[in-house]
Amino acid sequence: MTSLSLKRLAVLALPMAALTTIATAAQAQEWTPSKSIEFVAPANPGGGWDTLVRTVSRVIQQEGLADKNFAAINVPGGGGAVAWAQIARDSGNPHKLFATSPPMILVPLAGASRYDHTDFTPVARINTDYSIILVAADSEYQDVNDLFTALKENPRLSVGGGSAPGSMDHISIAGLASAAGLDASAVNYIPFSGGGDAMTNLMGGHIEAVITGAGESVGQLGEGSQLRALGVSSEERLGGALAEVPTYQEQGIDYSFDIWRGVMGAPDMPEEAVAYYEELFAEMLETDAWRQASDQLGWIDAYQDSEEFGAFLDEQQEQFSSVLSDLGLLRQ
Amino acid sequence: MDALNNLMYGFGIALEPMNIAYVFAGVFAGTIIGMLPGLGPISALALMIPITFAMEPSSGLILMAGVYYGAIFGGSTSSILLNAPGVAGTVATSFDGYPMAKQGKAGKALAIAAYSSFVGGTVSVIFLMLVAPLLSKVAVSFGPAEYFALMVLGLTAVVSLSDKSLVKGLIAAVVGVMISIVGIDMQTGTERFTFNSINLLDGIDFLVVALGIFALAEVFYMLLRGGGGKEAPRNAIGSLKLTRSEVGQIAGPVSRSSVLGFFTGVLPGAGATIGSFLGYSMEKRIAKDGDTFGKGNIKGVAAPEAANNAACTGSFVPLLTLGVPGSGTTAVLLGALLVMGVTPGPMMLEQRPDVFWGVVASMYIGNIFLLVLNLPLIPLIAKILDLPKPLLLSLILIFCMIGVYGMSFSVFDLLLLLGFGLLGLGMRLFGFPAAPLILALILGNIMEESMRRALQISGGDWMTFVDKPISLSLLLIALLSLGLPLLKKRRKKAAVAE
Repeated sequence: MTSLSLKRLAVLALPMAALTTIATAAQAQEWTPSKSIEFVAPANPGGGWDTLVRTVSRVIQQEGLADKNFAAINVPGGGGAVAWAQIARDSGNPHKLFATSPPMILVPLAGASRYDHTDFTPVARINTDYSIILVAADSEYQDVNDLFTALKENPRLSVGGGSAPGSMDHISIAGLASAAGLDASAVNYIPFSGGGDAMTNLMGGHIEAVITGAGESVGQLGEGSQLRALGVSSEERLGGALAEVPTYQEQGIDYSFDIWRGVMGAPDMPEEAVAYYEELFAEMLETDAWRQASDQLGWIDAYQDSEEFGAFLDEQQEQFSSVLSDLGLLRQ
Repeated sequence: MDALNNLMYGFGIALEPMNIAYVFAGVFAGTIIGMLPGLGPISALALMIPITFAMEPSSGLILMAGVYYGAIFGGSTSSILLNAPGVAGTVATSFDGYPMAKQGKAGKALAIAAYSSFVGGTVSVIFLMLVAPLLSKVAVSFGPAEYFALMVLGLTAVVSLSDKSLVKGLIAAVVGVMISIVGIDMQTGTERFTFNSINLLDGIDFLVVALGIFALAEVFYMLLRGGGGKEAPRNAIGSLKLTRSEVGQIAGPVSRSSVLGFFTGVLPGAGATIGSFLGYSMEKRIAKDGDTFGKGNIKGVAAPEAANNAACTGSFVPLLTLGVPGSGTTAVLLGALLVMGVTPGPMMLEQRPDVFWGVVASMYIGNIFLLVLNLPLIPLIAKILDLPKPLLLSLILIFCMIGVYGMSFSVFDLLLLLGFGLLGLGMRLFGFPAAPLILALILGNIMEESMRRALQISGGDWMTFVDKPISLSLLLIALLSLGLPLLKKRRKKAAVAE
């Protein structure tokens, strides 16, 4: 229902939009948004996509980078597939953007979405985040190797994640398992409706560990926390609140996993609109407010413009489909 | 006493003139939003995020919380007067509220709803204040197995909600479960019952079904019977006053449902709708005059109204103490708090006591505002029943269509609404109860997902549902609540035979 409310917001904004259109008609060559931009997080609030959407919206508003408001919308379900199906219907709409990351490639490869990245318009890659493994604060596992030793003995040991089987969290832990010498399909992966949901279940002791985005976990770590991090998938240690968390490589497992994040738009978005957003996001990355938020969330800037980002996505698709077929999860 | 000091500190914040204005604005807007079907608290809150962005976090949350519980408070009005639930949490209120209105006791039904909401809201704020930090443990103690058991317990209410024929009640419930799983399956991404229609990918919205099966079906039914409908007494809003014996009758249900509702609200994923159904079916089972539930029993209005307001306040426990949203509405609240730079969670009580205690204190004030605001409005709003029937029926029709269209902006949903209206009409004509369908629709999906998750964790071992104490107790209560009515019936039969 959250998604729908924003449509209503858009309608309310229409009369105002009409006024501004008249005002800016003089400088018509350069495209600017004529109403609120719907910025969709294809998941529940509290997740990685959600954090990106809300942070970008906030920074743009705070720094006054755009004339129009960026309105964050959550459209959860199907590991993103529900939102993509909705957005795919909105061909040519220049006021509709969505946050994207590896699931944009993985979910279609697993045969769980009718639409893949080629159906949408790449706008820009923004940054990258990493996977993190969490256990309860009082857990017996002290590092990643403890967890995998236990997994070897008890293959039923449950590891929760915030997305569907065969999507990002699952691939991340399966890849790690195979790098650690286990069978990739040995992990009993339990899909929850989001990273927040998975972490609640970890706090309650219903599952043994959680794999989720490092950025998503920051709010739940630190002093007085009920959760503890075992390892992070970056090549080097992250900063800020996650400075204490060792990498997998430090723990003797040669494996890293990037959760790149970017922005895509509705199918066939007009070129002028793409150019507008490219510039807007590049500008946003230079602001202090963005710097501060990224530091807090453990994000690392990794900007690419629309063309580079599109090529990058094609590469990722090739890479992931070979990983997935190793795991026997490739369905396309 | 610590809690008292904290509360005084909270009142210090809530009683700042600007914050009093925010509470008032919040509950007033909430009441109006709640009365209109389709415009629910989620959309209202999402609209307000840009407004609260620049506010003090405590003021922002005070305002938004006011809208939330105000909407649940006001949602009963259209349930009672028009059989058209304003928000999902007030569906159960229409079961007895609407029959009361038809009997010319609309004023009384609305007054009971207002008083019960007030008590439910206030009782649960007291709980929130005293035990919120402790309750965060309760909130996480519910894993997939426990949720499955809770949903099973909720579904046993089908028995008490299907009056005449249990078989027909069960059929309605099965249809409800089927509707609840339409769309993309969260667990596997598989499409179910979508008939390759892109419109069904997101599933079917609860309110489309509820408005169709209750409000629209009622309109059709009245039209079928000649449109005249002379049985409803004109000008009959009735008195707002409750007699002493009536107050005595609802005192028990209101207090029990307040407590039950609060704890339901504390569980992430349960919330006001499930709370109100649990309260209603519990009272129907306990009551000596349980047979008259659904025919205008005042307890049937009091119980769900106390429960849904209590649950609404309860849902602030996981939000503020764990940083985990328990429902769509609290998810939007979480988003708003994050935007304001406050991270709810275990450390919030220490880091931002002003937000926590300020909101708690403002809830006391807000509930009083709601009562004072709503009581004088009742005679005015209830006048809608004085409209000539053709006008009233068209009004309900328009109300429902605007509500549904405003939610999704989809013509397909309007057709669905019409379809469910016809389904509801058919069900009425052939004596199928609507309540079990709605209940199963609410619980079905969560029940299925929880069951599959629990089994996956246990490696396919069904004993997981019996091994866990909470899950086991809930299942035993479910069994008991199925068995008792049967025993009662048998004893009654035996007594008659003697």
